[in-house]
Amino acid sequence: MKNSERLNRSRIFYFSLLTFFIIVFGYLLVVLQDLLLPVLMGTLAAYISLPAINYLRRNRIPKALAILILLGAFSFLIFVLGQKIVSVIPSEKEALELRIQLQYKLNENFLAFLGKEDFANEGNIIDDIVGDELDQMFESVNSFLAFDKSEVIEFQNYIDSSLVSERIMFFYSDNLKHTILPAHDIEEENLVENGLLPLVSKIKSTSRIAIFLNAISTWIILPFVFIFILIDEGEIKNFFLSIVPNRYFEMTFATFTNVDQAIGNYLRGTLLQSSLVGLTIFLGLLFIGFNIQAAILIGIVAGISNAIPFLGPVIGLGTGILYAMIVEGIDPMLPFMPDNPLIGVLMVVLTAQFLDNAIFQPLVLGKAVNLHPLVVVIGVTGGSIVGGFWGMLLAIPTIVILKVVISTLYRQAKEYYIIY
Amino acid sequence: MEEEIKTKNLWKDYSRELTSNKDKTLVEILKKIPLLSKLGKRELKTISKFAYERTFEANEFVFQTGQPGAAMFIIKEGEVKIVKENSDEEYVEIIKLSTGDIFGELALLDSSPRSAGALVFKPTKAIAIFREDLNKLLETHPDIGGKIMMHLAIITGKRLKDTTNQLIEMENEMNLLRKKLDEK
Repeated sequence: MKNSERLNRSRIFYFSLLTFFIIVFGYLLVVLQDLLLPVLMGTLAAYISLPAINYLRRNRIPKALAILILLGAFSFLIFVLGQKIVSVIPSEKEALELRIQLQYKLNENFLAFLGKEDFANEGNIIDDIVGDELDQMFESVNSFLAFDKSEVIEFQNYIDSSLVSERIMFFYSDNLKHTILPAHDIEEENLVENGLLPLVSKIKSTSRIAIFLNAISTWIILPFVFIFILIDEGEIKNFFLSIVPNRYFEMTFATFTNVDQAIGNYLRGTLLQSSLVGLTIFLGLLFIGFNIQAAILIGIVAGISNAIPFLGPVIGLGTGILYAMIVEGIDPMLPFMPDNPLIGVLMVVLTAQFLDNAIFQPLVLGKAVNLHPLVVVIGVTGGSIVGGFWGMLLAIPTIVILKVVISTLYRQAKEYYIIY
Repeated sequence: MEEEIKTKNLWKDYSRELTSNKDKTLVEILKKIPLLSKLGKRELKTISKFAYERTFEANEFVFQTGQPGAAMFIIKEGEVKIVKENSDEEYVEIIKLSTGDIFGELALLDSSPRSAGALVFKPTKAIAIFREDLNKLLETHPDIGGKIMMHLAIITGKRLKDTTNQLIEMENEMNLLRKKLDEK
């Protein structure tokens, strides 16, 4: 009788404690959501670097020094890459010029593809068969690139102060030959209707320095998370294990280590594979004559997006092709390389994909978490609906983590006679 | 001024109590176990970082027969019976262990199912050391991990020899009995 009373009391106690923590945690999650990404990235970085720390310690380097070495290496890499990337980010005028250039080149290539000189002319056989459909698709791309009213005024200012080169002026006037309604105007109307415009303009009007400082203040937490997770000598795990009842103690630990191993292998494998793909594309683009900044930027984009199954390589290829369209007068490093940057990019991306499938993937055995292709497709699409690019990127890792956690928990619970 | 000194001492005492005392007792307990007796104080301190202390009540199972083994247990205080279920589904005591004894040490080698269960006889405090932590130790401190593994191999080898001897003794006895039966 006494025992059952105690059991009831402890049940109520644990239940209220759990409810309390869920409420507090949920509240903090909502209020501090800006901190979520830095904390997540710091944890991820620490998690991925654990084997490196272990390697350094095995070579008799003290842990504190090992962490400092890694932090230094990361900071150096981010600083160098960051500088290179910042130097390619165009100013407002350059961005407008790039859009003009891209629109012109797109039109030029599109017309050449259909074998016509002008949109009004008759083209080749492709034009006969699917010309109308392609025209429609192309127009939506064009309308995306076209200037809206404020941008036209802004660009006119640049022209008036004779800051625009003749070449760009030629492209600009050529683009204006077939007037296309810019997509932004329509979007803006919708935004006004939904009462969202004041918000957007408010963000736009905030100075870059303010945005930068704001980002710094939340991202400053990242190195701290990184350091403290690496310094931790099992205290975090110890705490969670200490609140687990005896009956589930061994099972919890076994589940924890199995999940840790599987997810660690998967994440490290994916990172390694993406880095190798990014590096291959970076080197390939250098060889076909791209400048180093562009090659780094496209390499990073292609590397990161390579983690998205099916769609990733397409994003990498698209970024490369976009750049290849506007770049002029590239000079391949080796004589047998193609002069046409479009063919060059295609070759580089195909080579990277071949290397990825033939060498990198078999090398990274840890990635072997089997997901049905249908799950992958639905996951990636769903991720894109929920969270755009980041959603797509994080969808598969999230599914993999959930799958590993649930399947391991189920298996262990059965083996330890917790469930039937 | 006096206040300040007081607080300082208080903090000192408090911090000492928090860290070193706990570590010290744990290190002392670990030192007494034959498996770890050859290790130095610093090495034992490293191990104490992943030694999990658990409190069990009487008639509670630490682990049951057939469960996958993940940890070795050291009895800090209390008594534990190693039991095996017979055909009548009753628990038969194989051995009774007390303070300082270890059990489930084969789990440090692999996750094969436990050959017997561990039932708590008197309220017990036990320290658990997990195989996976030991494997990690082998990566970061191969010297310490190597020593533990070596001793584990020696202990396992010794038990194997004992079992072989027991088997031979039993076989001899059986032969003797067979002969006696034949003579009759």
